[in-house]
Parts: sequence; structure tokens; C-alpha cells
Amino acid sequence: MDWIFYALDYLFGAPILGLGTMVGFVWKALLLLVTLLVFTAYVLLADRKIWAAVQIRRGPNVVGAFGLFQSFADLLKFVFKEPVIPAGADKAVYLLAPLVTVLLALSAWAVVPVAEGWALADINVGILYIFAISSLGVYGIIMGGWASNSKYPFLGALRSAAQMVSYEVSIGFVIITVLLCVGSLNLTHIVLAQEQGGIAHMLGVPWLTFLNWYWLPLFPMFVIFFISALAETNRPPFDLPEAESELVAGFMVEYGSTPYMMFMLGEYVAIILMCALTTILFLGGWTAPIDLPPFNWIPGAVWFVLKLSLVFFMIAMVKAFVPRYRYDQLMRLGWKVFLPISLVMVIVVAAVLQLTGWGWHGGVA
Amino acid sequence: MKALRFLDALLLREFVSTFFLAMRYFFAPKPTINYPFEKGPVSPRFRGEHALRRYPNGEERCIACKLCEAICPAQAITIEAGPRQNDGTRRTVRYDIDMVKCIYCGFCQEACPVDAIVEGPNFEFATETREELYFSKERLLANGDRWERELAANIALDAPYR
Amino acid sequence: MAQLKVDGELIEVPDHFTLMQAAEAAGAEIPRFCYHERLSVAGNCRMCLVEVKGGPPKPQASCAMSVRDLRPGPNGEAPEMFTNTPMVKKAREGVMEFLLINHPLDCPICDQGGECDLQDQAMAYGVDTSRYWENKRAVENKHIGPLVKTIMNRCIHCTRCVRFTTEVAGVSELGLIGRGEDAEITSYLERSMTSELQGNVIDLCPVGALTSKPYAFQARPWELSKTESIDVMDAVGSNIRVDARGREVMRILPRIHEGINEEWISDKTRFVWDGLRTQRLDRPYVKKGAKLQATSWAEAFAAVADAVKSVEPSRIGAIAGDLAGVEEMYALKALMTAIGSSNIDARPAGSALDPKKGRGSYIFNPTIAGIEQADAILIIGANPRREAALVNARIRKAWRTGKVAVGLIGEAADLTYDYAHLGAGIDSLVDLAGGRGDFAEVFSKAQRPLVIVGEGAVTGASGKDVLALAAQIAKANGALSDEWTGFAVLHNAASRVGALDIGFVPGRGGLDTAGMVKAAGAGKLDVLFVLGADEIDMAGLGGTKVIYIGTHGDAGAHRADIILPAATYTEKSATYVNTEGRVQMTTRAVFAPGEAKEDWAILRALSAVLGHTLPFDSLNALRAKLYGDFPHLAQLDTIASGKPSDVSALANAAAPKKTYSLISPVGDFYLTNPIARASAVMAECSQLMSGLKQAAE
Repeated sequence: MDWIFYALDYLFGAPILGLGTMVGFVWKALLLLVTLLVFTAYVLLADRKIWAAVQIRRGPNVVGAFGLFQSFADLLKFVFKEPVIPAGADKAVYLLAPLVTVLLALSAWAVVPVAEGWALADINVGILYIFAISSLGVYGIIMGGWASNSKYPFLGALRSAAQMVSYEVSIGFVIITVLLCVGSLNLTHIVLAQEQGGIAHMLGVPWLTFLNWYWLPLFPMFVIFFISALAETNRPPFDLPEAESELVAGFMVEYGSTPYMMFMLGEYVAIILMCALTTILFLGGWTAPIDLPPFNWIPGAVWFVLKLSLVFFMIAMVKAFVPRYRYDQLMRLGWKVFLPISLVMVIVVAAVLQLTGWGWHGGVA
Repeated sequence: MKALRFLDALLLREFVSTFFLAMRYFFAPKPTINYPFEKGPVSPRFRGEHALRRYPNGEERCIACKLCEAICPAQAITIEAGPRQNDGTRRTVRYDIDMVKCIYCGFCQEACPVDAIVEGPNFEFATETREELYFSKERLLANGDRWERELAANIALDAPYR
Repeated sequence: MAQLKVDGELIEVPDHFTLMQAAEAAGAEIPRFCYHERLSVAGNCRMCLVEVKGGPPKPQASCAMSVRDLRPGPNGEAPEMFTNTPMVKKAREGVMEFLLINHPLDCPICDQGGECDLQDQAMAYGVDTSRYWENKRAVENKHIGPLVKTIMNRCIHCTRCVRFTTEVAGVSELGLIGRGEDAEITSYLERSMTSELQGNVIDLCPVGALTSKPYAFQARPWELSKTESIDVMDAVGSNIRVDARGREVMRILPRIHEGINEEWISDKTRFVWDGLRTQRLDRPYVKKGAKLQATSWAEAFAAVADAVKSVEPSRIGAIAGDLAGVEEMYALKALMTAIGSSNIDARPAGSALDPKKGRGSYIFNPTIAGIEQADAILIIGANPRREAALVNARIRKAWRTGKVAVGLIGEAADLTYDYAHLGAGIDSLVDLAGGRGDFAEVFSKAQRPLVIVGEGAVTGASGKDVLALAAQIAKANGALSDEWTGFAVLHNAASRVGALDIGFVPGRGGLDTAGMVKAAGAGKLDVLFVLGADEIDMAGLGGTKVIYIGTHGDAGAHRADIILPAATYTEKSATYVNTEGRVQMTTRAVFAPGEAKEDWAILRALSAVLGHTLPFDSLNALRAKLYGDFPHLAQLDTIASGKPSDVSALANAAAPKKTYSLISPVGDFYLTNPIARASAVMAECSQLMSGLKQAAE
């Protein structure tokens, strides 16, 4: 019978049963979930505010001071609206689609290390897990578009499938270059590799940690990853699945009330995930940019959130000042520009590492 | 040239310059008016909610000449006239404006020989039901009493151009 | 004929033409205020100034200057007049400026606004600024009666109203007193006008000084829909224009018809419109117990069917009233025929008029316009001023020429012209027929003698005798020749001639009006259809079931057991034949109130319920049948003239056994029919007339 106690201990920890020593897994997961959702709410507000600011508007400012409760008001509005299911829709799939989207987006967060040791599951194939989960995200969209049984959603879903598949290829190669440098699939190791080795160490100024980070040596990869992340999350300028000018609102046309909100939620959680991934892969995760006081007094989690926010700010700015791509331009960029460049870069990085012996060797080796 | 263009693309020159351009606007003062708390300026010629004015001694100006009714292109005005009980002067028995029909063209105030019907500066008279937008004479006179100061000032401002 | 040039165009006009008439003949427009074709020339507004060559070198009033007043040029050139020279323009602008000096700028509150001569001409011929800064003249408003409202500030002293009242209406009750700035139109002693034509001064007034009191501030001319129609207040059939707004008649104006009303109408015609709104029957009623209860058409029809079906046809009757149109009487007659009853009548009780004796025996043969050709007029048992005001105006017009002698047998009354009163009784008529008396001599010498017999005189016990005597007088004095039929019956009701034309009189063995009333009183009549006949003796109907088809809650509706609400003359298109026999048609101006229907449609629907479906489904189908039976009714605005032989056939009188006095049946001009009796304005006029109100003021 002991295994039951161990399992309960693992899940709920000391506060309930007073048996074990560690904080239960469920509490950690709940904490992450709540933090993430609240954070998403403010990211959403920030998105709207930034967009408004660039257009010399104020953005939402009525609900709460500076509109701080706008997202919660929207949430209430969505929840209290009547869900309308189109007559010809496949009801089960129609309702499943937003659930799939939001669940996949949330579950990817299980392996993200917010600070050293602060990951729900510090697994050794973390990056692979995220890659796999975010690839599945396309199903939510396809299901939603198909189940609506309507022209525009279907077209939007098809576009989205093609787009996400295309850009996953280059994202994959970008990740491979990073992995080559790190020599591990563990996300914590990727961050540690950027802390313990790199250009700053070579230059003899190890306290300038930000020079260590992979954004500098792998700059082209960093740009490609950023752009591909936009495409992967259907953000402008690559929001062609929604494309309100042609497809009304793409795969979400027939959705309203709570299912629609879940699509939106899933989308934003995925965006934040991409920001977190960018932070981990290229911006050194939780590490302080300069390893000197007062910078290294600040907890790593704060640095992580700051960096993540910076990346999101860039994503939001891109939405504000880059015009939307045409569909053929989008495909050309993915297949004819990013794919060749990232392929070449994989070879170049591999060659350089092989010839110079650079790279991180602190991991599993 | 090709090399330059390649460098442009590689170093994201356009992207960065656009980013800074966007940031300039990001911090620019916002022209948005925080509407219910702040209000923009309203021209003296603004054609808003209608009002029937009175003379300073309290006598209603409208003499039921029906010129506004005749000129109204939306046929939003309905007037019934008759001699007033106490002194037999020509007055409206009924003066209705269907604000749902009204197109706020201002012809009524142009046509009025005694500046009785005017379109005031008020534009905040949204209602919850249609019925409330069928303005009766009482409502219009009440509007006139409420806005008289602004109405008189606006007419005085516009007088040199009429 | 005289030759002259108008604006360079040489024309030839009769000698008696004025310059204004000549200009009109040449197509040049001349503005005017005081000049009116049917009134004497005053020449006081000066708006019609023109420039002439061959006359005085100053602007000339074209209304007052004859073409003969202009001299030809030294070489015999035609004299010239100009209507478009700078001098004329300046003269007109000057006159207009003077007129506007004292005219208030109150067009927005003026009822004349929108149809005002001064407004129009100020736009066309005036200048747009005023140089007059002094105070305007203020004139006190005068009370001249309940019909005409005065706002004397607006008066421009054209004196059209004064001339109308003295010349046409024949009452010298308005005048211009004072001079220059003090000139005022007044009724001298603040008295109400007594003329039955006074409403016409409202139309005549070129400004808003005289306006309609009941219509005051009610509507603007541009919001009224105008319908040309026919009046039914008397048997004259004046041509009118009905102005309506929405579902209400707002006013009634005359139309010009030279043969009937020229351009005047009586006050009853003009001001009766408020009676069209009040006391209306707007839904069917059925008497349950002692009370009338509102019900549906279906139930009302069922009640009629109940009453009619179990009854022997000879115990059913129908009487048509004064305002019934030809169509509905035709339908009612057809229905009664189908039921099998011949008890129908549209004449007052005891009328001697009979359509079988020919059309000439019951119409106004010489026509109303023909009165002007008569040189001696004998009026028998009528008060034309009350019975047919416009016929009276025509007689006065003829009398004013000074060539016509008028004699009257009947009640003495103020007819607005001088006449020889020959007596009030039938004995005077016998005397005249026997050639006794001064007037008999005058009459026998006349070239075109005219005998006018009032409808009242030929009704009642002495009716036959009077009719015969009148015909005899006409025949004996040469009034019955081929070119002049000087025998005229003056009817009182619009429906009468039409009814006689279609034979709405008792058939073989049928009862007439008096007979039906008597039979009803004696319990020998079970059902009586009353088509708007409120003048019959309702109290004498006994226990008869009365089915009233009418418009107003009047005598008939009070007595009725079943009420079927119908349409008034402004609410239906119906044919009326006036006393001359002239066929005219009304036009629907508004819809009948509530559930009321047009009379013919009621009768058609009722016929289906009674199982005698009438063979027409539309008004056009009804008219097609009607015109088939009576072709002359299809000829609108024409008169199928009566034969003089019809009249001479009447002239076989035996000496009357008794002495009756001849009294006009119209006691009160203002209250002759249900519509007028429902009108508050008419009631006020009537009170005023009978002296009740005058004393109070």
C-alpha cells in the first residue's frame, strides 16, 4: 500500500497529508497554471495597448485603472454569452477543437524551466517534447475549421496547416543548431550552456553573460526563429489563417462565446510559449545579462519574465508595423529562404564545432 | 548593389528603422479623447438635439407657421396648430419630432422665422427604446429651457454670417 | 372693335374692353389686387399700372381705363400699351412698397400664407428691402361674425369685400370709413354679417385680413390634398374643392362653374365641414331591448335578414333621404324590386311631383344661368335665399340690371332684392292665374317670363293645385315656347332630381312616403329601410322595424332599430343631379370613419345576405347598369332638357277647394340636413340668425 502514499505525496505533498517533504506536483502545476493564465491576461492587454500606442491611440482604458481589468471583463463577457453551434457543424469536433488548442498550448509549459530547477518536469528531451506538442497545435485549427462546415473556416484551416507545417521545418533546423552547440535536449542544460560557456568566456570577460547567449553566435538563426515563431503562432504579419480582409476571420468565423475565448487563450498561451522558447534558446533563460551585483541579486525567474516580455514586446511591435504577407510570399519565405539558410547553417555550425571543439561539455556529454 | 541589398536584409536595416519609427509614435502624445470624461470642442453650428426656445419672458417662440414641417426632408416633424385658449394667438397644439427619422440637416432651424426650433450642441440623448426618441412638444421645450444659454450664445455667434 | 398694340403686338378687341382685358387677350400678365371680374371696378390698389401711348403720359390703371380712352397716333397708328417697360416695373415696385409699408410681416402666423396674392406678387413684382423705418399702422380687429375672422392690420383697402357684400350678397354691411392712413374696413357697428354668402369674402380678400374663423390656424395650404367635388347642402350642386389632411376634411372652397355657382358658395357649403367629424355613425348598431348596441357588420346584416325574411314583401318599405346619391338609390330600388316590394319613395310626404309626367315637370328648366335672360320672375312658395342661396344670388344679379321684375307669392322675406309681394296664399296664385293684379300685367308683357315653384309649395295637400296653377300661369304667359321654357321647380335636396330621374317613387300599388308613414303608424308596415331620410315623421312610425343607413346620429338614427353606418358626400364617389337636371359627380376626398362603408357597398352586401344578390360587384359595374337604364346620367355636367309639353300637360287645374298659405319648408338655412345639424359652426350661425346670440353679445 505504500505506493499509494508515495503517489499522493508526490501529487499533493506535505500540506495535505503531512507525509513527504516536497511541495506536491498538483500544487506546482496549479501555481504555474494560474500564474500563466493571469500573465496571459496581461499579455493580451499589453498586446492591445502596444498596438494602440503605435497607432497613437490609448487602447482599452475603461475597465479598471489603465484598463487593467479589461481582459477579465472580456472573459466574463465571453463566458456569459450564448454558445452558438452552426446547424451543419460536427458538434463533437466543433467543441473539441478549442479544447485541443488550449490544452496543447498549456501542456507544453510542463517542461519550461522558469528558473534553475523551476520546471514541472525537468525531462532530458524537453525541447523535443515542446516541438512535438506545438506541432500538434495545428490539429485544433484544422478540427475547428473543418467542423464548422463552412467555406471560410475551411480555407483558413487549410492555410494554417500548410503554414505551420512549413515553418516547423525551419524551426526544427534552428533548434538543431542550438542543440549542436549545447549537446543536450534538456532545456535546463540549454540555459546552463549559455551561462557557463560562450563568447564572453572566450573574450575573457565572463561577467558579460549576455555575450555568451546564443543570439550572438547564432544571430541568423535567432532571426529565423523569431520570424518562424510568428508564423507558427499565426501572428501578424503571418495571420493568414484569420485574414479578416479575405476570410472574414478564418477558422474562427463560426465560433463565439466560450469556445472562441478558448481559441484566443490557446493562441496567446502558444505565443508566450514561443517567447519563452526564444528566451531559453537564444537569450540565456533565467541568467542575468551581467553577472555582477546588483544584476545577479535579482532572482532568475524575474530575468526570465523580463526577457520573455521583451520578446513579446517585439512580437507585438511587429504586429503594429509590418504589413500582412500575401500567402505566396509566406510560402516563398518559408521554403525558399529560411529552409536553405537554416540547412546551410546546420552544416556550418556542425563543421565549426567539429573543427574548433567549441561547444558545451557540462551536460551528459 | 546586390551586396548592399543583401546586407540590408541580413542586418534587418528596414526592420530596425521601422521599429524606431514605430517607437516614436509609441511615445507620441495620444489624440484620443477620453470621451465620457473629456469632450472635444463643438462648433456653434453643430446640429445636435432639437430644442424649442422661449422668449426671455417665458413665452414660447414657436408660432406654428409649419415652415419647418414643410421643409423637413425626412418628414420627421408633425405639427398641429390652433388658436391658444387664453388669448387666441397662433400656437402649436402638437409639435412632434421623430428623432428616429430626423437626419439632422438643420433645415428646420434655417426655415424658422423666429429662431424657435433649433438644433443644439447636445448629442448625448441616446435612449433605450425607440419610443423615447419620439420627442413631444413638452420634451422639446424642456430641452430649450435646459440649453437656452448655449443656444442663445451659438445663435449670437453665428448671427454675422446669416 | 378697337385696335391697339400690347407690348408691340397688334390685337383687336371689343370696344368695351378695359386695358387689362385687352392685355389678357394678348397674353400679357397684369398684377392686381382690387380688380375682380365679378365685381365693379374700383381702381384703388394701383397695382395694375401700365404705360400707354395715346393717353395720359403717366402710368395708367389698366383695370379702369377703357381701350376707347386711347387715341390713335397722328397718322392713324394704333394706340399702344406696355406691360414690361422700366416705367411699369418702377411703378409696380413703388406701389408694392407702399402697400407693404403698413402690411405686417406676419406671414408665418397668417392663414393666407402660401396662397396669398400679396405674398406672390411681392415675390414677383416687389423689391426685397424696405426703406420704411417708422412705426407701422395698427388697426383694431373687427368682429364681423362667427365665420369670418378679421386681422385688420393686414388690410390693403382693396374694398373687394365691400363691393362683394353690396353687389353680390346684397347686404350693405361692410364699408370703408376714414381716409388715408385712417381708412378702415368695418361693419360700422361691430355687428355680425347676416349674409348667407359672407364666406366668399375670405376667398376674395387678396391678403390675410379676412380669414376663415373655424379654419383658423388649422392647416397650411401645402399640406392639404385637394379634391374636386360637388356640394350637396342644397339642390344647386355647387362645384367645390374639398381640402383634406389625413382623414379629415379641413375646409371646403368653391370651384368656378359659370352655369351654377360662378365662383361663390353659400356659408353652409363652406363651413359645414366640422359636421363631417362630429356625431358620426362609425360602426353598426342593433337595438337590443330599448338600447342600441354596437355590433359587427355580420351581426347587423343577420339582424336585417331576420327582420326581412319572415315578412311579406308588401309590408316592407324604403325611403331615401335628402343627401342620397343616385347610385345608392338605384341599388336600393333594385334591392326592393328583388324583394318584391314597390313601396319606395324619395320625395317629401305628399309631393305632387311625379316622374311619369316627364322631366320637364320637375326640373329647373331654364337653368340657373338662364335666370339672367328672364325679364319677369314669379316665385311661388319659396324663399330662394334660404333654399338655394346661389339661385337667389343669380336672381339678384339679374335684378341688378334693372330689367327684371320679380314677384313673390308666399312668405314675405328679405331676398336682397325688391319684389312685388302678391300674397301668401294659394288664392293669390289663383288671382294671378286669372290675370288679376298689377304684376299679372307685367308678367304677361314679359318676353321671357319665369315661374319658379318652390318644392315646399308643391308638397302637401295643395301641392297638386299649386303645380297645376303654376304651369297654367307659365303656359298662359307664353313661358312655354321652344326656345324658352320659363317653368322651374326649385328643389331643396340634392338627391331629389336624381331620385325622380331613376324613378325612385312608388311602383304599381306601392305606398309613397306619406302612405308608408301612415301604414307604419297603423302597424301595416313591418320593415322600413331609411336611406339617410331624417326629415320624415319618425314619431309616427309606430312599431315598425327601422333600418337606418346613414352617416350621422340624427333623427333617423335615434328611431332606428338597426343602424348601418354609411359615407358622407366627401367620402364617396356618387352622382347627384341638381335642380336644373345637371348630372354631376362627387369624388372621394377622405375615407369614411371607423367601420362605415359606402352606401352602395352596404346595399350590395346586404342583398347577398337577404338572398337577392344584386348584379354588380363594383361601383363601375353598378354605374354600367345605371347608365344602361338611364343613359342621360352618364353625361356629366350636361342637362337633358325637359320638354315644354310636359309642363303644359300639367296645366289642367281645377280651382282649389281650400285656401292654403304657401310656406317655405326651409325654416332655418343653417340646419337643413344631418351634416349641418352636427356642425357646431352651423349651430352658432343658426342661433345668431334666430337672435339668441345677438342678444347675448
